[in-house]
Amino acid sequence: MAESKEKFFELRNLTVKYHSGSSIIHAVNDVSLDLNAGETLGLVGETGAGKTTIAKSILRILSENSVESIDGEILFEGRRILDMEDKEMQAIRGKSISMIFQDPMTALNPVKTVLSQIAEGYKLHHNCTKAEANKRAIEMLEMVGIGEDRAEEYPHQFSGGMKQRVVIALALACSPRLLLADEPTTALDVTIQAQVLDLIRDLRNKLGTAMILITHDLGVVAEVCDKVAVIYAGRIIEKGTLEDIYDHPTHPYTCGLFAALPDMDKDVDRLSPIEGLPPDPSVIRDHCDFLERCPYACEKCKKFDNKMIEMTEGHFVRCWKANEEV
Amino acid sequence: MAALVETQDLKKYFKSGAGLVHAVDNISLKIEEGETVGLVGESGCGKSTLGRTLIHLNESTDGKIIFNGKDVTKLNKKQMKDFRKDVQMIFQDPYSSLNPRETVSDIIMEPLKLDGSFSREEIKNRTRELMDIVGIEKRLRMSYPHELDGGRRQRVGIARALALKPKFIVCDEPVSALDVSIQAQILNLLMDLQKDMGLTYLFITHDMSVVKHISNQICVMYLGQMVEMCDKKELFAYPLHPYTKALLSAIPTTDIHNRKERIILKGEIKSPINPGPGCRFASRCPYADESCNQGVQACEVRPGHYVVCNKAKEINQL
Repeated sequence: MAESKEKFFELRNLTVKYHSGSSIIHAVNDVSLDLNAGETLGLVGETGAGKTTIAKSILRILSENSVESIDGEILFEGRRILDMEDKEMQAIRGKSISMIFQDPMTALNPVKTVLSQIAEGYKLHHNCTKAEANKRAIEMLEMVGIGEDRAEEYPHQFSGGMKQRVVIALALACSPRLLLADEPTTALDVTIQAQVLDLIRDLRNKLGTAMILITHDLGVVAEVCDKVAVIYAGRIIEKGTLEDIYDHPTHPYTCGLFAALPDMDKDVDRLSPIEGLPPDPSVIRDHCDFLERCPYACEKCKKFDNKMIEMTEGHFVRCWKANEEV
Repeated sequence: MAALVETQDLKKYFKSGAGLVHAVDNISLKIEEGETVGLVGESGCGKSTLGRTLIHLNESTDGKIIFNGKDVTKLNKKQMKDFRKDVQMIFQDPYSSLNPRETVSDIIMEPLKLDGSFSREEIKNRTRELMDIVGIEKRLRMSYPHELDGGRRQRVGIARALALKPKFIVCDEPVSALDVSIQAQILNLLMDLQKDMGLTYLFITHDMSVVKHISNQICVMYLGQMVEMCDKKELFAYPLHPYTKALLSAIPTTDIHNRKERIILKGEIKSPINPGPGCRFASRCPYADESCNQGVQACEVRPGHYVVCNKAKEINQL
């Protein structure tokens, strides 16, 4: 592959398989993405589509017991993450790349104060004194709107929204270059969500942090992302800029997602759900994964390969009918 | 139409080590028969507690709950049993609200068995009918909850709630745990059921687009208190309470060309433990002054539009 210019971050043909009993689960299939420094990519898809698996592969924190294989390449500032020594990876994990976990209830240690949890990571990566680390931790907590007087409290003393903000403070303490945010606002109320999104935007502007935002909320993506990739059954089915996806959604699944949302501005009597269910992840198909649920599917779809089509520059769609009727 | 459910100054306090948690404080609302009232607010503001107290899963601390003309807090044992049939609940989490060791048909059958007035044959037929109504395939009759996806699990929860032909159902975030495409299926189902069976819903959610889709009336709660209640269209067109305004402005939209002006709230949420008499939103409210901490009154600012804010008229220049 010719490398004309080095990308800040790149996934090349990432494929992750889990084993489950006697079958193989194809969680992520041939996913390629790239990201420039300071850019925000929205990774959109339903439960089980493979979003979290992608994020965890980047940090190499997938449970070794359940992974069958990870193939492809993950390049961070030109370095191959999958080939790194554990020590090298540890220096990156939590410092250059960090992650906001989905569930704030389980992402925090229940027997340590929030202050010590944030200070711990900072101290580990910065070789500083405890006092310095604590100072940094308090700064971070204040940035997410939690006062110093609550820093010595334990996670159970915080509400869900506050815990999520602690998790965000934790992820940002070391000013990462790349932030993987796995449904960072799903557990939050809209007013708090607005605060958190504001905070994330602010950090991006101040620190130039690049971000992969994993979510199923198309509204949140519209708020903060520059680029969008829609993932279905472990495969990217459409990717492009925010405008590409929101103004010209092309894949029938992407269109279906938009149609299924209750519209704030229009009154509709009935929503249009996508009928059916996502396919069985233990079966690998050589035709389109969305075939069974697609309103445009025909016999020909079964015979066509699963290639992406470039609609306009940078806007890719995995549907051979993209240029025709859809 | 008469109100099916009505509360007057309903209160529910919980004891905790630090004092009394005012989970629901002085809530008065009416739910008309066949309508849906959407209950929105942040997590921990007492939405679920209000829902559970309405159907007497929690004993209320003070105030009245009137269901079908009768005061629920004064029912005897026999009347209570009848009341229990008339009210049901659909829970948020379809994963933890179903017994993992029972099959789908066991779960749906259970209320019918407990009722004691049906023969075995009737129970079997009704179970089949219910599965049909909510759209669960017959072949899944003997499946266990873990074998079903979230959407189907929620359908089982709905079938169970419908078993005894209730009049009133509290839907506690029934679609929050579901994906968008599945969420639309369940919302359509709930609306169809309402039309076919004349059900009355209290629909608890924090998702404003969902509540806008499904409700007739909307009640906005903040830390145990009602802050605003009115018709759905009225609320979205003329939000009058500062909290409602912030809430509506904070909803992320998929329209990337017309961005709204956001109202970002500052300040911390007050503790619901012994909160004192004033407005609980005062600590985050951009308009609050000292008088807001003294006390707060509900007023009908426009016909059918209730706002609990001393400054509502001033802020909105009414």
